[in-house]
Order: sequence, then C-alpha cells, then structure tokens
Amino acid sequence: MNDLIIERVKTGIPGLDELIEGGFPRGDTILIAGKAGTGKSILATQFIYKGATEYNEPGVLVTLEEPPHLIKRNMLRFGMDLEKLEKEKKIAIVDLSPSKEVTPVTIGEYPSFDLSGLEAIILNHVKKIKATRVVLDTLSIMAYKFKSRDILREEFFKLAATITRAGCTLLLTSEIPAQEQGLGVFDIEAFLASGVIVLYNEKISDTSRSRSIEVLKLRGSKHSSRIHSMRITDEGIRVWPGEISPGV
Amino acid sequence: MADKKKRKASTKKKKSDKIEVVFFKSDTCAFCPRAEEVIRETLENFGSEVFELKVVNVSENPDAAEEFGIFALPTVMIGGISVTGIPEPDLLMKMVLGAKVMTKKKDGSK
Ligand SMILES: Nc1ncnc2c1ncn2[C@@H]1O[C@H](COP(=O)(O)OP(=O)(O)OP(=O)(O)O)[C@@H](O)[C@H]1O
Ligand SMILES: [Mg+2]
Repeated sequence: MNDLIIERVKTGIPGLDELIEGGFPRGDTILIAGKAGTGKSILATQFIYKGATEYNEPGVLVTLEEPPHLIKRNMLRFGMDLEKLEKEKKIAIVDLSPSKEVTPVTIGEYPSFDLSGLEAIILNHVKKIKATRVVLDTLSIMAYKFKSRDILREEFFKLAATITRAGCTLLLTSEIPAQEQGLGVFDIEAFLASGVIVLYNEKISDTSRSRSIEVLKLRGSKHSSRIHSMRITDEGIRVWPGEISPGV
Repeated sequence: MADKKKRKASTKKKKSDKIEVVFFKSDTCAFCPRAEEVIRETLENFGSEVFELKVVNVSENPDAAEEFGIFALPTVMIGGISVTGIPEPDLLMKMVLGAKVMTKKKDGSK
C-alpha cells in the first residue's frame, strides 16, 4: 500500500467521518474526552458496533466502569444489539468493571509494577476474534485505581503501542472532571493520543443544553476546526457537519 | 443463593484448611521474579500446612487475570485482598495472619 496515503477507519457515526477526512487513521490512538454524561461511552460503543456490523471489523470493548449488562441495555435502545454480535464473535465485551465480585480489594501498591495483566487480557480477545478495533472505557478509572502516576503514564504508552501494533485502531475515553479546564484526570491523555475529540453538553439557557463535538487534533488530517452540533437520537449519536454549535 | 454459598464453603473446607495465596505474574513483568522470591520467603515462616501458594502466569492464562480483574503485575491475592508491586514482607505477614483469623472465625461460628 502507498505509504503516503493514510488509510481511514470509518467510525460509521453519521456526520462524524465527514469532519475527519473519512475516518480515523488506521492504527492510531484516539482520545474521546468530555465531562460526565457527554456521550463518550455511547460514541465509543457505537464505533465498535458499526465496525462489526458495517465494516467487517471485529472489535473489543473493554469496560472499566459500566457493567456489560447495562451497556447492552442502553445500546439496545438505539437498536444496537451487542449481545447478538457477542454471540457471533464479532465483538467481545471485556468486563473489568468494579461490579465484579471476585475482584480483590487492593490494600497496598508499591511502585514496582506494570500493566502486563491488562495487556494480556486485551490481546487475548484481540487474537480470539481477530479484532481491528479496541475501545477502553474509561482511562480515568485507572487514575483512581493506581497511585503511581509515573508508572501509569509509561505503562499506558506501552499498552497503547502494543494494541495498535497488533493492528488495531484504539479509542480511549477520558472524563474531564466537572470544574477542569484540561482534558482529563491523567494529564497525559492528549500526549498519548494522535487524535483528540472533545464532547460538550453546555448550558445555552436556563432551561436547555446543547450537545456538540470538536475535533481538537488528528494526525495527518485536515479536520474541521469548528465545534459542530451533535445529538443523541433514537439511533445513537449523530453529528451535523454543516451546523456550527450555538453553545460554545 | 444462601444454600449455594454454604455448600461452596463446606466443600472448600473438606478439601483443605489451607489459606490460598494466589500470585499473578507474567512472562514480561520485570518485577515479578523478585516479588515471587519475597512471597516464598515470607510464607516459609508459616510452614506449608498453613497456606497453599498458587502461581498464575497471566501470559499463559489471561482468562484468570480477567476473571479476577487483575491489571497490574505482580499482584498477590490472599482471601479477597491484594497487593500490587513487590510486597513488603510485613504487609504479607499481616495479610496471611488476617486470612487465618478469618478462617478460624468461620470455623468457630459453625
Ligand atoms: N436513549 C437515549 N436517548 C437520548 N439520550 C440518551 C439516551 N441514552 C442516554 N442518553 C444521554 O446520554 C448520556 C450518557 O451518555 P454516556 O454514557 O455515553 O456518557 P459518558 O460521557 O460516557 O458519561 P460518563 O462520564 O458518566 O461515563 C445520558 O446522560 C443521557 O443524557
Ligand atoms: Mg461513560
């Protein structure tokens, strides 16, 4: 293949691909940042769903926060049947949410560890279903789980590199704390990713809010530099490329 | 539900009264060999009748890491609590003793 042409991975999210020259660059790490409830999980899960149903790209959804049964229930409201895809081995949902009963309570952490456990868990599923998309929802949980930030930073770089080297396009979500200006609790998220997308749900009057989406950066892409309207419809997330958001 | 729990506990007891210590490691983990040494040395003080050390190599058995939600290695797990990184012997001792007390309590209440 021509090295000069960046192969694009279509998100399949209506309106989004038009903002990013057709899709994410294949094999990149993309960060979806936003405050609570802005639609990060829905967008990321929709990326996995569309990959499996429309582009023949199996995907692994690693959930560190919401338990799988709730994700399935929520996505079913958009007509997206994850259970079925899981049975067909087109997607894998990896449950690393805190709701698992057997997970031991950590009472000590020494700054001499790596994330090779998480890496092995993810790669195991990537191999099993020959995945080319991976979502990790959400990175922010790691910052609460572990104290040693320096190790986390380094290990996350390694992990992202390993997953993308295995042929996957990686989507990470990160929650921007309510009063925060930056991109997340980690302060590494933006460096880690070659693309950053920010979701907003801003108050536009006393009684209403407006959702919008911004492509903050995307490697090798002439992306839109405006903030576009976004809505969560009965079919999931939809972006209006021609509509500039009134909110921000 | 309660029935199931009881049965589970009793089969476990019949099998052994030993405290299960599970050590998670991987092929690539640089700190794991040292952590394993520390754990073995510490546990030796208790004698092998007291505990049972189970080593899980996550590179070979990623499903086990997934089941228990173990991201970071090395991690040692004793009776529902865990420590990540090369553990200090003191903390390990406390964990084993804590687990011993717990099993004693269970026996006493029967
Ligand atoms: N069926 C639906 N129709 C319209 N909007 C919905 C529907 N389901 C969820 N939403 C909206 O989406 C939001 C949740 O989206 P999502 O879980 O993706 O947010 P998030 O950014 O991941 O939040 P968090 O940081 O809490 O994980 C809800 O707060 C709600 O406003
Ligand atoms: Mg979420």
